[in-house]
Amino acid sequence: MALFDSSARVFLAATALRLILLVYGGWQDAHSAVKYTDIDYMVFTDAARYVAKGESPYARDTYRYTPLLAWMILPTAWEGAAPWSTLTFAFGKVLFALSDVLAGWLVVQLLVRCYCFPAERALRYVAAVWLWNPMVANISTRGSSEGLLGVLVAALLWAALTKKPIFAGLILGLAVHFKIYPFIYGVSILWWWDAEREGSAAAVSGLLSKALGFITPSRVKFTVAALASFVALNLIMYLQYGQPFLYHTFFHHLTRIDHRHNFSPYSTLLYLSAAGGAQTRFEALAFLPQLILVVVALPLVLAKKSLTTTMLAQTFTFVTFNKVCTSQYFLWYLILLPFYLPSSSLIRKPTLGISAAILWIAGQALWLHQGYNLEFLGLSSFVPGLFLAGLFFFAVNVWILGIIVRDGGNGAGEVSVAEK
Amino acid sequence: MKQRITFIQRVDAGFDPQQAVLTASSLSVRGLDAAREDRITVGLDELPEEFRAVLEQSHELHLRWASERSFDAVAPFSSRVSPGLHVHYTPLESESSSEALCTLLRTVVAPNKDAQYKDCSKQEDSFITPPLRSTQFASSASLQYYTYLPSIQSLVRYIQTTVCDHSRADGPECHTRADALLSADSVDIDYDSVSHALTVSGLWTSPPMGGWTDQFQKPASAADQIEFGLLGADAGLEPEEIKMGGLLAVVGHDKKLKPTMFSFPSRHQPLNEPSTYAVSFASPTGLHPTMSISMPRSSLKRPPAPSDTTCALHTYLTLPSTIFGDQYQLATTDPLFLESHNLVALHALAGEMDLEAPDWVVQRWGSNWLLELATPRETEDATTTPDPSNWTATIPLHLRYLPPSETGHRTAHIPWPVVFWACTAEDDTKMGINPFDRTNLGWDSLFGPRTLFYQLQPAGDRLVEEVDVPVLRLEGGGDYFQGKHIEFGTCVVISLGFMWVLWRLACVAWSPGVGNKRTKGVHDKKE
Repeated sequence: MALFDSSARVFLAATALRLILLVYGGWQDAHSAVKYTDIDYMVFTDAARYVAKGESPYARDTYRYTPLLAWMILPTAWEGAAPWSTLTFAFGKVLFALSDVLAGWLVVQLLVRCYCFPAERALRYVAAVWLWNPMVANISTRGSSEGLLGVLVAALLWAALTKKPIFAGLILGLAVHFKIYPFIYGVSILWWWDAEREGSAAAVSGLLSKALGFITPSRVKFTVAALASFVALNLIMYLQYGQPFLYHTFFHHLTRIDHRHNFSPYSTLLYLSAAGGAQTRFEALAFLPQLILVVVALPLVLAKKSLTTTMLAQTFTFVTFNKVCTSQYFLWYLILLPFYLPSSSLIRKPTLGISAAILWIAGQALWLHQGYNLEFLGLSSFVPGLFLAGLFFFAVNVWILGIIVRDGGNGAGEVSVAEK
Repeated sequence: MKQRITFIQRVDAGFDPQQAVLTASSLSVRGLDAAREDRITVGLDELPEEFRAVLEQSHELHLRWASERSFDAVAPFSSRVSPGLHVHYTPLESESSSEALCTLLRTVVAPNKDAQYKDCSKQEDSFITPPLRSTQFASSASLQYYTYLPSIQSLVRYIQTTVCDHSRADGPECHTRADALLSADSVDIDYDSVSHALTVSGLWTSPPMGGWTDQFQKPASAADQIEFGLLGADAGLEPEEIKMGGLLAVVGHDKKLKPTMFSFPSRHQPLNEPSTYAVSFASPTGLHPTMSISMPRSSLKRPPAPSDTTCALHTYLTLPSTIFGDQYQLATTDPLFLESHNLVALHALAGEMDLEAPDWVVQRWGSNWLLELATPRETEDATTTPDPSNWTATIPLHLRYLPPSETGHRTAHIPWPVVFWACTAEDDTKMGINPFDRTNLGWDSLFGPRTLFYQLQPAGDRLVEEVDVPVLRLEGGGDYFQGKHIEFGTCVVISLGFMWVLWRLACVAWSPGVGNKRTKGVHDKKE
């Protein structure tokens, strides 16, 4: 396919797509009462305005992110005349869209360098999944910060795969500070980074020497660097903004009970239990299956076979078993798909791949239909509609997860650098 | 105890001198076609102990109740509040916490279990701090409460069982007066620590069938007094004035009805031409109902305020906790959004603003919103034929999650907002004395002291909208959608999913020769 011969062409097209969406978004915002810009972006820019005035970003209700985000988009708070203000307003979106493209570029580089993909093949997968994916371009040009996370995860992978433990640790600390959930990658990278991978393939026997053998220089450097960057960032933010920073960036996310309808299989139960109608407190244990799989079982079984597939499975599990799930969470695992897909049974067996895609979309469609009935038509569709749709979507995700795990066990998405 | 009985006759209402007869000991009226206001002022010592205890802790206490039936407010009683009970309260010591007022309110309100009623246990939990627009008008009470209340039956029963039985002589008379409140269009109760007196006012804007027929006896005690007035209202010489004329008497004191004529400045003014509005929610309401306020274009002429004042159309929303506005959405300055809703600006807001909390987490009663509405451009009237379509302003709102029910639905009762013109003058001196003045309405304190208000008339049978809120349906009986089935179902599906993934992982962990397969797999790929 000639289209994918030149990486410049692919990246230019990706950039053009984002540019067109940015301009279109600006036009729609200026001409329609229905805005293209995401509400969250208004929260970020309001927070940036507070910061520009020397106040706390948490002065803005529902700002539940690190202050870094508000600092980063400070230019959006610059006042100016008409054309100038439109440009400064879009600064954050441009930043998010650029990190999107950068994340895609990093993934292409990794595929080519570490996974020995021909450039054309790498470009094809990354374009299909990420760079040319209209959903990705749409989300970041509407001003959602998920693109930043994409670039952090891609950079984390790059540092790990190119054996830069300190760098990897620093990036991980930053990513966790940004959005908590990337801590799950820490576990799989740690387990993956054994002595063998460091080159000192000293296979030792005996429990004690095995335990001591676990502590390798890379693992220590990675852990210390991750903790250092995480603690340092939090300390700086805490000293600057105090308790509200801790509350809104971390505790809110850890303690929130989202009773409103969302894709999570727990959603109806949480509503029932928050309203005091549940007899058991089953949902209080919801973290158990999620964390056992994500932190223990998946890294332990899969990480040494395929790091990227483990990370994908971890993210997929985290999102599937989470107590809250909205569509932006799907972006979290999208960035990892180009590593897995090329050697997955979803591509090798088209019937399987197409069935998975159809079932996933059907799960979404069923849920969205019930959600529309509730949200816009005012029908009481909580049971059976939303309840069953949520469980069905969960079942489809778990089934796909099983496929990913099996493929991961077969070494799908493995680094083939060793064979070269 | 002092009573003031005022009958207000419309200009076109007939009057025959035989309809009001004053004797040495009584005054009687017969078949009088008029609006009526009764105002009773009682000293603290004339009240029962528990009630007095509440008042003694108050700096100010103002209750405003309005019926949900539509009524024509006549000058000088043209001000309005949204139907329901509004409480404006300033405790004597700002830090004091007391359950006494809430206990009293519970007796007075006695809501039915079904209503989404914010039980008032302590005022600092259930009351909101009223909206403040600018510190210069900081004359409002420090705490505010509202509840939907279609009937004041419990209040009347309370007055009868405690106040009437406590008062000195006129037991049966007190019971009759209290019963009469049941048909009132609005009832005000006011207390302040300066006067140490409690005032109860009832307003009936239209007479009962056949007109008012009543007799007022000269009070037994010299300390008590009954003032009587039969008046008509008209526009005064100055635009902010109301002129009244008619007959006055103090029963048992005056020998005959005295003709009188007087005028006074009034913040609440009638509109020359009747102007109406209607409130509705476009169906289906879903979880994001939009409130529409529609007005005939003919209703939207600038009121006859002095030309040096600035007039703007406003609406003041009283929203129970079940429904709320998004303060960031409504406070926008985006002209496209505002134009599409015919809004100008959000000027003040107070109360429960949380965008995510379900109703059972929200403690306080709800929220208040003052919005300025757009009006059609002036160029449209005069020469061309009048546009028959209505002018509609819309306010996007959102519903909170409510507790599950057996039907899968619950009803949110949303009182119609008041809609009025506010004409503000630069001058911020106080208004002169008005014997019929009414303040502490919630919205009036958001404007300067010399602002003139012109109310639009709500046109509808019932001034409360019922919005259907979809909730989780839980069937009580042996049906299959019970809470425990949701718990069990979720638990089983999650466990199965969890075990499925563990099983797949176990297969990988214990499958032989994975390492070989891995290399083979990679080689396959390369071929």
